Amino acid sequence: MNELEQWVARAENDVDEREHIIDQLMHDYGDAILHLAYTYVKNRATAEDLTQEIFIKIYEKLPQFNRKATIKTWIYRIASNHCKDYLRSWHYRKITINNKIWDYIPCQSPYVEDEIMRKSEGHSLTYAVTNLPIKYREIVFLHYYEELPLVEISKITNVNMNTIKTRLKRAKELLKDKLLKEGLKNA
Amino acid sequence: MHDPFNNLKQVMKETVFKDVSFSDERKNAVKETINQNPSPFHSWKIETIIAILVAIQHTPMHGYAISTHLFQKNDLIFQNKEGELYTLLHLLENKSILTSKWDGDKKYYTLTSKGKKHLAGYRQDNVKRDLSLKQLIEEVSF
Repeated sequence: MNELEQWVARAENDVDEREHIIDQLMHDYGDAILHLAYTYVKNRATAEDLTQEIFIKIYEKLPQFNRKATIKTWIYRIASNHCKDYLRSWHYRKITINNKIWDYIPCQSPYVEDEIMRKSEGHSLTYAVTNLPIKYREIVFLHYYEELPLVEISKITNVNMNTIKTRLKRAKELLKDKLLKEGLKNA
Repeated sequence: MHDPFNNLKQVMKETVFKDVSFSDERKNAVKETINQNPSPFHSWKIETIIAILVAIQHTPMHGYAISTHLFQKNDLIFQNKEGELYTLLHLLENKSILTSKWDGDKKYYTLTSKGKKHLAGYRQDNVKRDLSLKQLIEEVSF
């Protein structure tokens, strides 16, 4: 158990202590959680809003941290669930439907970020990854970007180890297909 | 075998996550929110509250017995922090969901009619259940 975890365990219900802990956690994991949220929602402003909500949630749940997992695994899990809840929400689905309308109107696409990514060559890998279906995307991100061991990923996503292995394998196949197609298109 | 994701971290850092960081402004917004709602109690899990209500619905119990009962039910939320259980019991008492009586040096908790209503509401159909739970959680959270 590291120092921070001991601290969390001691803090119990002391409001000031909890605030210091959140400060520390935002400093240590703010960027990582923001990148995780971005991986799910692919929009910077939304990812920032979600990250803010995630840290507030962590603050509220701190007294429930039971040291069964590391604090890192615990907050990633809260973050991952929070993003998935957002993607399931009515609000999000309404927005995506509204955005689909743009596909039929010949004007500037709302997917500007996507457009930029597609155009530059170095971005093709990133573009391909961010366009994988979510169940593959989250695992690829956690394993290759965050470099977390499969055991931890299993705790975060609540997916069993064998399923994770299968998904990683499948993600590689999907990616190869995609990059191959890209290559053909550009040739 | 060549792994196509091998340099993903590097590539993502240079592209999609370039200059994407959780700003101080955003961090301060979090701190402000925290300070605006200094709820003295954190959000308890509804299952935990219900488990307490169920434990004492037929027989009055004292705090320690309730905590052992929760452990048996595999609710480990109060493990190593039994103090929080007493905080929650006090809170439920203040909201007249439970009532308590001293017997010797032990304090026994019983459900009030209001508590029984909450429990009954929880067991009814889902729509009503959610409403009653929401109220209960709200009452206990502030």
